[in-house]
Amino acid sequence: MAAPFLTGCAGPLSALAPEGPAARGAVRLWWIMLAGGGAIFLVVSAVLMLAILRPAALRAFGPRRIILWGGLVIPTIILAALVTAALALGERLLATPRPPEDAPLRIEAVARQWVWEFRYPGGAVTFDRLHMPAGRDVDFTVTSADVIHSFWIPRLGGKIDAIPGHETVVRLRADRPGVYGGVCAEFCGTGHAAMAFTVEAHEEVGFAAALAGEVEE
Amino acid sequence: MSGRELLLLAAGFTLWAVAFVALYAMLSVGCRFGWDGIDLAGGVTVQRAQLVTLFLAFLAVGAWLAVHLRTGPRAPFLSRAAYLAALAGLGSIVFSFAAVFALSECV
Repeated sequence: MAAPFLTGCAGPLSALAPEGPAARGAVRLWWIMLAGGGAIFLVVSAVLMLAILRPAALRAFGPRRIILWGGLVIPTIILAALVTAALALGERLLATPRPPEDAPLRIEAVARQWVWEFRYPGGAVTFDRLHMPAGRDVDFTVTSADVIHSFWIPRLGGKIDAIPGHETVVRLRADRPGVYGGVCAEFCGTGHAAMAFTVEAHEEVGFAAALAGEVEE
Repeated sequence: MSGRELLLLAAGFTLWAVAFVALYAMLSVGCRFGWDGIDLAGGVTVQRAQLVTLFLAFLAVGAWLAVHLRTGPRAPFLSRAAYLAALAGLGSIVFSFAAVFALSECV
């Protein structure tokens, strides 16, 4: 019965099938929030059923205590836990500066209606196909040549806006070689839905070879 | 019921909303101008200092509002509600924005 609801949980664009630390953090937060939301739903449902089936039991508890606990104490505890988890996980996702010898590889992503252009340190350029090394951090410097787009590889991490005249940075890592999907996650015109790209994460040697191949093309 | 009473009812959370916009705006302005790279004293940057100052200022205004609207339990309903809403707004300012002391400033 759950099958129709779970069909979106797999595939190259599934944020629920993480392949990197940033995506794992987001998924962990998602599960924590689902559990928190589910717990609140169950408790509210139970109180509602109690109000319908055994109103005397609820009345004995008293309106002041119901408002204090149900409206203030319990929501504050749950919200504080969720906010703490969100802030702690969010801090770990930031592309904080590192010393030059430890600096991640930088790849530029330029969005324009409706194509993704990727520029690599050696001068190679690819369109709608992103090559990246697996097993190490990559900083993506994202910008736009026209309207606002958004750069998103769901299996590797969160999205980040591509803003004309401004550079945003997102740090992603693919745990292992593979092919993943990427999309534009901000409506950017009639071609938005088709503005997808392919991500190929390679072994270190394969990454260099893939870029060399692109230069020759 | 007067318009003034209704305005007072919304005062606490209007202040919270103004604090939200002000802190968000000044965070972006500070990052754009690189204030996170200017050390003021003892590792505290200009960016951190201005955000914390802004936070404390809104905290002070929120506290003033709560004291100003304070009423006992026998006061008219709207006055009492305005006071409690101001308290809730003050708590929300602490809950939502106290993280300016600890979180990363800019990336």
